[in-house]
Amino acid sequence: MFIQKDSDLDVASVMLDLNSTPRISSRAFLKEALDLMDAKKLGIICITDRFGKLEGIITDGDIRRMLTRVQKPFAALFSDDVIEYSVKNPITVKRSTALSDAIATMGLMQVWDLPVIDQSGKLEGLLHLHPAIEAILGVRNA
Amino acid sequence: MNKKKILVGSPTNNQVVIHNNSDLVLIAGPCAIETREHSMRMADLIGKVCRKVGMQWIFKACYDKDCRSAPTSFHGLGLEEGLRVLSEVRSEHGIPVTSDFSDPSWGAATGEVCDLIQVPAYLCRQTSILRAAAETGKPVHLKKGQFMSPWNMKNSCRKLESFGSSEIMLTDRGTFFGYNMLVNDMRALPIMAETGYPVCFDATHSIQMPTSMGNISGGQREFIPHLTRSAAACGIDALFVEVHDDPPNALSDANTVLDLKYLEVVLSQTKAMHDMRRELQEKWGEDNVHPEG
Repeated sequence: MFIQKDSDLDVASVMLDLNSTPRISSRAFLKEALDLMDAKKLGIICITDRFGKLEGIITDGDIRRMLTRVQKPFAALFSDDVIEYSVKNPITVKRSTALSDAIATMGLMQVWDLPVIDQSGKLEGLLHLHPAIEAILGVRNA
Repeated sequence: MNKKKILVGSPTNNQVVIHNNSDLVLIAGPCAIETREHSMRMADLIGKVCRKVGMQWIFKACYDKDCRSAPTSFHGLGLEEGLRVLSEVRSEHGIPVTSDFSDPSWGAATGEVCDLIQVPAYLCRQTSILRAAAETGKPVHLKKGQFMSPWNMKNSCRKLESFGSSEIMLTDRGTFFGYNMLVNDMRALPIMAETGYPVCFDATHSIQMPTSMGNISGGQREFIPHLTRSAAACGIDALFVEVHDDPPNALSDANTVLDLKYLEVVLSQTKAMHDMRRELQEKWGEDNVHPEG
């Protein structure tokens, strides 16, 4: 797909704000994380500490891989701390990152979402692929 | 794994540290406070065995047994008189003491005397009891209900934490295996240790056969040595044993309490297994054979 390299759109213009971003504390149960992902209709959840700093993420893919690996019963799995199954140090973007660069990163890494963090690592929102593509194509107001 | 420690008792009263890198601690005593004299004698006799074996310990006896099978069963001395006895045991023998409590309104008084607050297994998810236990400000000994999975005990820990507890110990006392029968799934110990809190094995309730004898509970105490050795090899930080100097005439749990004359051999074996496990861990590291580490 051709991406307008000269687009002046940045991540901030299309990112989901914090209220729309699924996020949860590291000691929450895995089941609570799944419920929240479902409620927000996104395949990712961001795990933050009590200061809002990003500690990790879990995606639908991580859960799929975990289900075929972990042999414990569902009831035990659901009770585990969400951080246990998270990807630490995920790829992130800043608000000021060029949208075209962020989309290129998503393509390269084959991911649908990128957490947006500030200089201190605090979560600010989420870049989701669909609104980003729509904005680039001009079918969605940034 | 379980790295948190709990401190039971005051520094001037033989304070006991329960931690996964410490010596095994014993919690022992008759099931119920029968009389002042009996409690004092049991504290004296158990204390002698502990000194011989080299174990720190906490005296346990309940002032009100609220889960007996029959209404006519011995209930205990009651809150006021029972706590007075525990207080005397504490001061005269210089050891920490513990009792469970079955009514939230008894929590505050229990916390004024007891160094460790025990939550009965049947009530382990009862929010009002957990709140009352936490509000004592004392370490809480939370027994896994016979009907609970070990991983679900995290919910009760979260409740205690939300009410202010930071020192909790989790105990396995068996899991229902059909009717009138308990079994020990030793996996419960490392699973509960994942909470970070110390774990304990209850040797005498694990061999209980709940209400198997019509209006009282039975038990197979011949398995106490096997199960305690297994639990210590698996990994525990404390051992809970109800002990009596005259089991056939014990007023509570006569079919499960350990005869005092066998306490030394059970403790010696369990301590040896515990020390061996720690040595093995020092040599080979933490238990972890998962491919992903």
